[in-house]
Amino acid sequence: MKRMVVTLLLMMLCLMTVTAVVEAADEQPAPPLDLYGDLYGGDVSDAPTGDPLEVVNRGVFWFNDKMYFYLLKPVARGFRVVPEPARVGLGNMLDNLKSPIRAVNSLLQLKFKQAGSEVGRLVVNTTLGIFGFYDAADTIWSLKKKEEDFGQTLGYYGVEEGFYLVLPFFGASTLRDGVSMIPDSFIDPVYWSVRQEVALGIKGSDVVNRISLDKDTYESIVDEQLDPYLFIRDAYLQNRAANVAD
Amino acid sequence: MKTFLYLIVFTLLCAGYVTAETAPISPRIEVQTTVDAILDQLRTLPADSPQRREVISGLIREQFDFQLMSQGALGRSWASANDLQRQKFIDLFTGLLEETYLGRIQAYTNEKISYGEEEIRQNRAVVDTVIHTASADIPISYKLLLQNNDWQVYDVVIEKVSLIRNYRSSYASILRSKGMDGLLEEMKEKLDSLHQRAEVEQKDAA
Repeated sequence: MKRMVVTLLLMMLCLMTVTAVVEAADEQPAPPLDLYGDLYGGDVSDAPTGDPLEVVNRGVFWFNDKMYFYLLKPVARGFRVVPEPARVGLGNMLDNLKSPIRAVNSLLQLKFKQAGSEVGRLVVNTTLGIFGFYDAADTIWSLKKKEEDFGQTLGYYGVEEGFYLVLPFFGASTLRDGVSMIPDSFIDPVYWSVRQEVALGIKGSDVVNRISLDKDTYESIVDEQLDPYLFIRDAYLQNRAANVAD
Repeated sequence: MKTFLYLIVFTLLCAGYVTAETAPISPRIEVQTTVDAILDQLRTLPADSPQRREVISGLIREQFDFQLMSQGALGRSWASANDLQRQKFIDLFTGLLEETYLGRIQAYTNEKISYGEEEIRQNRAVVDTVIHTASADIPISYKLLLQNNDWQVYDVVIEKVSLIRNYRSSYASILRSKGMDGLLEEMKEKLDSLHQRAEVEQKDAA
């Protein structure tokens, strides 16, 4: 009889544990798996940003693709004879010159701390970082840069993207972001401090330098995607939307 | 004595049931283990080694839920596709994603990766990682879903761009112009050419 009681007690204990485990699992019911809205955030096939100029855009995309493979890439490959640390430094220097753009646009978006950080970065990197060659502000004080431009400023105040645009040489853009390059160019010290030809030369070497440091991102997209144009279009729009939102 | 035996068997059964319900491993550790294992294979096994691709492919398939990702990449069209088309799509999409992921991670084999915080909300988790290259930091986030007590990756977000959303957007346009069979045909051609590329790379390395 005693054994019987012990068995019963043990059985009950086991049952309780089991039900407790099952109940714990039931307490947080898995939300229904709505793949469009839930896991992947909305149906992008109805993306608000349209592409009414797709035919023209594809033409410009083709042009940029040829420019990349026949002009920029070979030059960038040749430029790789320069040791990588020097190219990274050059990239830092050219990027340091864009600090005013980031500072002003942070300010316009009322991100005061971020604006202060950009001014601090400009001062520290221009002096301690030897004209911006080293990103001393990041290394020493972890002052990270954050991309802000006039397109993001407009987005911050609710201006929509308009439509998708592929610009010759500059690549993926939208009406809003494309137009925004003009006010940004007024803040860019490269454009008002040197002659126009020199400024273009500097911008050109910036592009070549960046491609030389890149690990064939564009090539991999062209190789691996069914339609690189569509892939880049969506990547650009997603990235911009996220940058405006933060 | 007989009762005693029953008792032991019953207790063991109970114990088995309870231990099967132990907490899953943290998603951060799961991601880190997989990525580190892949990088380890890439660094140690020679590029012409035939098992290399298989081993890495196995590691990826264990951690990524390709069925879920396929559903996400097709979006609304998943519902209208028949079973055969779905299976074909899953197979091809798995192959394509694998090639893409492998191709990219190979380019960054020798860079430092840091694993950030994990954020768990009910049965979802996001694990942030950063690849530190000489010239830039590339943020990559893995999104995971808890299924059958196991965290599985269902999306990868690179520089704020969701890979699956990106695919869905591209595929939706192709579906509109060419239909499901047209899309499957294009995917097959692409996968064949990528496999050829991999073979050439393997031969070059040998």
